[in-house]
Amino acid sequence: MATEQDTAQPYGEQSDLEQLYERLVETGLAKLAVYAGLGVFLVWTLFPVYWLVTATLKTRETLLSFPPQWIPFDAQLGNFAALFAQRPEFFQFILNSVIVTIVTTIIATSIGAAAAYGFVAFDFPYNLDFHLPFYILSTRFMPPIVTIIPLFVIYRSFGLVNTLPGLILTYVMFNIPFAVWMMKGFFEEVPRSIVESAMIDGHTHVGAFVKIVLPLVKPGLIASAIFTIIITWNELLFAIILSQNASAMTIPVGLASFITKYSVQWVNMSVAGTIALVPVLVFAFVAREQLVSGFSMGAVQK
Amino acid sequence: MVRVTYDSIKKKYGDTVAVEDIKVTVDDGEFAVLLGPSGCGKTTTLRCLAGLTEPTEGTIRLGDHDVTDVHPKNRNIAMVFQQFALYPHMNVWQNISYPLKVDGVDKETRRERAREVAEMVEIEELLDRDVGQLSGGQRQRVALGRAMIRRPAVFLMDEPLASLDAKLKVDMRSRIKVLQQDLGITTLYVTHDQEEAMTLGDKLIVMDDGNIQQVGSPDKVYHEPKNRFVAGFIGSPTMNFIEVERDGRTIRPVHGAAEFAVDLDDEVAARYEGHDRFEIGVRPQYFKLHTAQTDNAIRGQVKVTEPMGDEQLIDVLVGEDEDPLELTVKAPSTIDVARNDEVWLTIQQELIHGFDLDSGERIAEGGDQRQRVAASRAEAE
Ligand SMILES: Nc1ncnc2c1ncn2[C@@H]1O[C@H](COP(=O)(O)OP(=O)(O)O)[C@@H](O)[C@H]1O
Ligand SMILES: [Mg+2]
Repeated sequence: MATEQDTAQPYGEQSDLEQLYERLVETGLAKLAVYAGLGVFLVWTLFPVYWLVTATLKTRETLLSFPPQWIPFDAQLGNFAALFAQRPEFFQFILNSVIVTIVTTIIATSIGAAAAYGFVAFDFPYNLDFHLPFYILSTRFMPPIVTIIPLFVIYRSFGLVNTLPGLILTYVMFNIPFAVWMMKGFFEEVPRSIVESAMIDGHTHVGAFVKIVLPLVKPGLIASAIFTIIITWNELLFAIILSQNASAMTIPVGLASFITKYSVQWVNMSVAGTIALVPVLVFAFVAREQLVSGFSMGAVQK
Repeated sequence: MVRVTYDSIKKKYGDTVAVEDIKVTVDDGEFAVLLGPSGCGKTTTLRCLAGLTEPTEGTIRLGDHDVTDVHPKNRNIAMVFQQFALYPHMNVWQNISYPLKVDGVDKETRRERAREVAEMVEIEELLDRDVGQLSGGQRQRVALGRAMIRRPAVFLMDEPLASLDAKLKVDMRSRIKVLQQDLGITTLYVTHDQEEAMTLGDKLIVMDDGNIQQVGSPDKVYHEPKNRFVAGFIGSPTMNFIEVERDGRTIRPVHGAAEFAVDLDDEVAARYEGHDRFEIGVRPQYFKLHTAQTDNAIRGQVKVTEPMGDEQLIDVLVGEDEDPLELTVKAPSTIDVARNDEVWLTIQQELIHGFDLDSGERIAEGGDQRQRVAASRAEAE
């Protein structure tokens, strides 16, 4: 039943909407709209950062003034010095954060990578190479907060409360599941014959893993390291419970301490917040190429 | 440079038997080709020798050493994989010389040796390229170079040419052959391509279903196939198999096609004394095609013709019932026939094989096999 409509529509009639769209593209209005949208989004995401950083240059009064002071005219350069003068333990917090983050990242990424490679490269009995990774992931299914009380009790009996090793242990447990799953995807991309080649060329299996496989999954290692860094550096909940005095407190705990029953120390908080923000920003910026290729996988194929 | 011995090697994966019972020796400096259909256990057999797969039973010896449990790195073997398996993060010369690097050879020497080897595989101008920029053929040369640089005792190659295009394949094939002969390194080469096997191997190891079917020179497996499988697998196009009944000197197909009745010569008929029913195998070129009725010929009808330059393949239907016999015949292209033409086929009887119906073994033909070979060669010219 071929009607006129059928024959007249090999490429389809343009609807009004399509025509309108084409007009918009022709006049450049469509592009304009896209840029406007992106602009709004950019302001939306970046403004809080701007506000935080400029707040470090304000006084409490100008910070809270209304209408808001968009640009800090009267820059208070002394705010940083003031923070460390009032709260000298902040040096300790920064040091603790750095130690905990670095050690956690190294341990979690190494264990995660080794475990993931094991699952990918070997056949376990009872199909465990399939089931175990899922079990590992399942440890992250419950809300972390439900483990805090038992963890605290266990830590107390082992003398781990208020210690950096205690915090590190928690964070390593936290981050391994993610590292395993991330690395598993990367190892699966490495052709088995490359590993076998390396063994025939004279490596042990461990040698082939270290010298050949690891360099090939570098983007994956970097991506899981960055994730671990971000999660660990910003973690507050466990840190606040497991560290009871300055010796084991991290920056987020210090930040939270500016919120007291009676007031919020906005300026100090902005300064400390900026200090917390900068290292992660710099690191992510430096490693951004690896991070992107880490997410787009397939990085091994050449 | 060493003799390789497989002694009753068996490999099971769970309940799957990948390789059932491999017993074979490859002599020092010999080029042996493992040939068989996909899934028959060639790769498994090769990997057992490489040490990448651990056999369930049996032993493997290199020379006089039992290497069954030796790590691949200590076997002094080199392997070329079908997927090349180059190290993607290294350039060409680093790839080629990597085995030396693992051995702790200094950089200067490594570069020098890589250059020498690159010349042998004709890629010296590519030494500083990234392997990602190379074509398939170039990558395979790099893989070859990497295998050669250590002068291993044994070369293993698992379908190294399978992913190359036809012309490159032929090119690389002759290069591999020349290199192997120059270096004199014992080589085991896996392929499912019988043409590749025939041109490369000193010795063919024909496999099927986890077992060796026949070991022998290319001529031997072609002209004296041990059983029906080998006869059918070797040779292209495939041999025609016809199940026949013998009545005195006359053979007739068991199923229909009354037009097919061939009187055998006395000498040929004598071979099949004691076999009343068996299967004959006739290669397409062992038929002779006639366009007019001929003595002791099978009448048939052309189904289709496939020109191949100097020759043509002709599918001939014999018998007019619903289930005719279909024979493939190779004939000079000077014979002009078309679909549905009537044709007559005679058989070069001394070149046919007979196979026992139960065991599939070839029925002994006696006589001088080399004469048969010569006859078939003369025929080809
Ligand atoms: N790692 C393995 N796990 C399970 N089965 C395997 C494995 N490797 C090979 N097989 C099986 O063993 C048989 C022989 O395989 P293979 O040696 O690769 O054959 P070929 O190289 O001749 O194609 C096949 O049926 C295959 O499925
Ligand atoms: Mg194979």
